[in-house]
Amino acid sequence: MEVNDTKKAESEQVNRFWPNHKRRIIAQAIASQIFIGVIAIGAMVFLYPSLPPNAWMLLIGLSAVALIISFLLILSAMRPLKDLSAALVHVAGEQSALTPPNLNDDRYQKNHLRPLLKLIYDIATSQTDSTHKIKGQDSSLDIPAQLNHTSTGVIMLDSNKQIIFANKSAPISIDAKAYKSLDLIFDVDPSINDWIAERGQHDIHAEKVWRRVANKLTGEPDRRLFDVYASYEKGSEAETIVTLFDRTSEYQPEDDDLDFIAFAAHELRGPITVIRGYLDTLNDELAAITDPDQKELFQRLMVSANRLSGYVSNILNASRFDRRHLKIHIGEQTVADIYSTISDDMQMRAAAQQRLLSVSFPDSLPTVAADLNSISEVFANLIDNAIKYSNDGGSIEVSAATNGDFVEVSVTDHGIGMPANVIANLFHKFYRSHRSRETVAGTGIGLYISKAIVESNGGKISVKSVEGHGSTFTLSLPIYATVADKLAKTGANNDVFLERSSSGWIKNHGAFRG
Amino acid sequence: MAIKRILIVEDDRFIGEMYVRSLKKAGYDVDWMVDGNDGLIAARNKPYDLMLLDVMLPERRGGEILQILRGGAQDLIPGTKVIVLTNFDQTEDARQSMEEHADGYLIKAEITPKKLLAVIEKMSQAS
Repeated sequence: MEVNDTKKAESEQVNRFWPNHKRRIIAQAIASQIFIGVIAIGAMVFLYPSLPPNAWMLLIGLSAVALIISFLLILSAMRPLKDLSAALVHVAGEQSALTPPNLNDDRYQKNHLRPLLKLIYDIATSQTDSTHKIKGQDSSLDIPAQLNHTSTGVIMLDSNKQIIFANKSAPISIDAKAYKSLDLIFDVDPSINDWIAERGQHDIHAEKVWRRVANKLTGEPDRRLFDVYASYEKGSEAETIVTLFDRTSEYQPEDDDLDFIAFAAHELRGPITVIRGYLDTLNDELAAITDPDQKELFQRLMVSANRLSGYVSNILNASRFDRRHLKIHIGEQTVADIYSTISDDMQMRAAAQQRLLSVSFPDSLPTVAADLNSISEVFANLIDNAIKYSNDGGSIEVSAATNGDFVEVSVTDHGIGMPANVIANLFHKFYRSHRSRETVAGTGIGLYISKAIVESNGGKISVKSVEGHGSTFTLSLPIYATVADKLAKTGANNDVFLERSSSGWIKNHGAFRG
Repeated sequence: MAIKRILIVEDDRFIGEMYVRSLKKAGYDVDWMVDGNDGLIAARNKPYDLMLLDVMLPERRGGEILQILRGGAQDLIPGTKVIVLTNFDQTEDARQSMEEHADGYLIKAEITPKKLLAVIEKMSQAS
């Protein structure tokens, strides 16, 4: 407002200049003529007291002529000033009694004022034009420099997928050969690089959004979380434009919540360790003096403690997975070895609930590429579900078979089964069917994390179910021989004690997927 | 070399007592330290066959103890096996670093004293 007021005042002053100036000059001219006239008459009276009346008449007449001539001279001299003022008032946009000078008027050609007036009009026109250009587009505006003032990252790639522009906020790294690459960790398929690589083969125009993409791993300094928008336009100079919105402040508190979960899980594990440990010890030490009834009570206590331990593992794994931090330790395993780590626990759980658990794996089964710890937890989740959702005296079969490049492990129960609408939501976090909420205890996290683990291992999980007749859950794991080459490239083969498997830390589990 | 003398470094009293009890019952010679400093001193001063090392310890963390004993140019406890026993969900880097210097890494909540004895027995036979 203040700026506008000042500008208005300046324009009004331009408008008032001419009338004020004209008045002042005319007043000065009249005053100077009167002054000269009075001096002249006084001097004549003093020097020539007896001058004849005719001479006086002549003198007064000449004075009047001089006054008129000087008046006309002043008007002539001031005319260009009037025209310049009129032109300036016109370009200042003020209302005025003065007519703006017309450049085509011969007068201005004669008095050489035309170039001056033209200059005024030209300056005014160019100023108006540049105002419009800033509002719209101007090739002289340094857009790359201006983009450094925004917290939004902007990256442009050419048709060779090379970064041709990145502003300050964009998370990119530059290697020793000055090769620029996007500094982001994509845990989902496709990553932005894969997506860009696939464009152009089919698309003219395409867009994609990735949410919650981190530039660093959890716990590393300067970790930021972005929503990433990519748009592709075939044939453009900047074929792919990536915009990154820093959402750290929005997503970080959720990460802190997950840290709390990890901490709480640690606290829960202490008492669980003692309960499980002493139950196992007491069960052995009191075996000679407990009757069958008491033995069953012990078994129920142990099953419950084991389940509790399993829930804590599921919660921890889900927390890691949600933080995109679930890492697995892929090695060559046999399905029988994976199962053997939970065999006793599962048999005890089945027996405690009067279920018959039969497990059989063919000897000819090839080895699989899997993370022993997490896949054994998946086995436990599926078998525990089968126990929970089947009927007293019911049987549960665990089997395995080869299918293409995969080994499929199936867990079949003959229990309550599920309708189709339940299956659709089964692998969602915290999902529990209406009926299971009423009848069976659980967290609704087991199948969610099981799916995440199996897929992280490069496999798939699926379910077939008939309501009232039972369900079959099937998980597939890659046959080791089919992925051994890819695994060897991803990490070192360090033998770890207590596991006969080799190990490799793999960030992008999709890397070795078939 | 069969495992005979065992050092437990564990600050949780219930868990420590539980391991001491079952290991002694199985015939092992057991010392128990409740903080990281005492654990480190004991490990250097007495030739143990096995050390059971917790991670979240007062005074010195398990990772630091392992780094001092095994991380330098010279292994300061060449005659001692180390099993890391923890309930803490370490970052993968920290866990990996400890695994490199240890002979075993177990989650306490996922094993019972009986299973621990089986692991020690297996380790004893292998060495």
